[in-house]
Amino acid sequence: MELLESYLRAVKRYLPRAQSADIIRELSDELRSQLEEKESALGRPMTDEEVTALLRQHGDPMTVARRYRQDSPSLTIGWELIGPELFPMYLIMLSVNLVITVACVAIVFLIMHAPIKLEAFVFPVLIQIIVLTLVFIGLNLVRRKYPQPWYYPPAELSPMIPIPRGYSIAGLILWGPVLLWWLALPHFPSLILGSAAAHLKLAPTWHNFYVPILLILLASISQRVISLFHPNWTWLVPFMRMIINATGALVLYFLVFKSHTLVVVADAFQGATQYEKLAESVNGTLLWGVLGPWLWIWAGISAPIYAWYCRPHLRKLLRGKRGGEGASVS
Amino acid sequence: MSPGTDNHDLFENLRLELRRGSLILAVLAMLRKEQYGYTLRKTLADQGMPIDEGTLYPLLRRLESQGLLVSEWREEDKRNKRFYRLSAEGKAILKPLLAEWQSINSSLNGIL
Repeated sequence: MELLESYLRAVKRYLPRAQSADIIRELSDELRSQLEEKESALGRPMTDEEVTALLRQHGDPMTVARRYRQDSPSLTIGWELIGPELFPMYLIMLSVNLVITVACVAIVFLIMHAPIKLEAFVFPVLIQIIVLTLVFIGLNLVRRKYPQPWYYPPAELSPMIPIPRGYSIAGLILWGPVLLWWLALPHFPSLILGSAAAHLKLAPTWHNFYVPILLILLASISQRVISLFHPNWTWLVPFMRMIINATGALVLYFLVFKSHTLVVVADAFQGATQYEKLAESVNGTLLWGVLGPWLWIWAGISAPIYAWYCRPHLRKLLRGKRGGEGASVS
Repeated sequence: MSPGTDNHDLFENLRLELRRGSLILAVLAMLRKEQYGYTLRKTLADQGMPIDEGTLYPLLRRLESQGLLVSEWREEDKRNKRFYRLSAEGKAILKPLLAEWQSINSSLNGIL
């Protein structure tokens, strides 16, 4: 019944709060009745695989919850942009993003000992709203086209749900160009320094971080390639991403908080005050913007989430091992 | 997309539309006698009107919020179940709805 409880918890997450307990109680009774009927027909308890098959047939938690949310708020301008089941998550993500953005901008001002101006917040806040809204509109389109995707199954069910190939392809489309960009950086510093590359060069500290970040990107890409060809290796995603994110958080910690100079003035312009200032400004942008704390926070939060998703795989592994030992004893 | 798939999708949409109204009528008619969701679904399926739980439960909630059904939680077989039955308002509406359906049905029979 652990799988059923986990499934119900996942459905509850997307239900209107005022009715969620009542809906879950009724849904739980319905699914328990179905399980009991199947078990009595089989004459034995159902296996985890059989329970998962029944729950998959019942539907992806978000889709199941959507049927109860027909009149809930959504973002609709002529046609539905963000559906009612995604809208609450969109609001939460938007609020969290805006709080982090405002805090980061304020911290930058404090570090630079500059007076805080309201205008400075407008552009980052607008960018966050636009990007996040576009991401959710995209997610909504995917959900309408493929209404049963099971993209984010509850942790307990995840070992039995193959990784959707579209998920791996989307990851490759996103991270492939990032890897190519990173590979090209030592040869074309202007890809990160822009026009300042004419007067600045990458500092020796940069090279200390280059290979670890390259390895993290390669591991991330490899995981997606393997998942694309072996979608049933469900353990690979949480284990590799836990390691990738934990390593990423560690590397970024040293990069952001322990190193202060990623670029220095190029040899030909040494001693020129304007380029010293330019280097200082670019270092600030890189450390607090491009590779800034947001990436560190993201990796730091993702690592324990993936660790949580590793639990059912470990439990299954231990159960299998005990079963194996038991079999050899008998 | 192939014309075959287009036709199939169109048929599916029309079939669902056709079924939607009939299902409401069937559910209301079945709930003249008190039942809980699982048995109601089984009875409907046995009568040739299969309905998946993802459609039935939200429909029951909608009909209840419209005042056509009443429900109460009660223990049966050592488990709490939500029993639904037709409300007074539901009974009053079901009668003309059935008459309307019969009239549509006989008209359609004449046309076909």
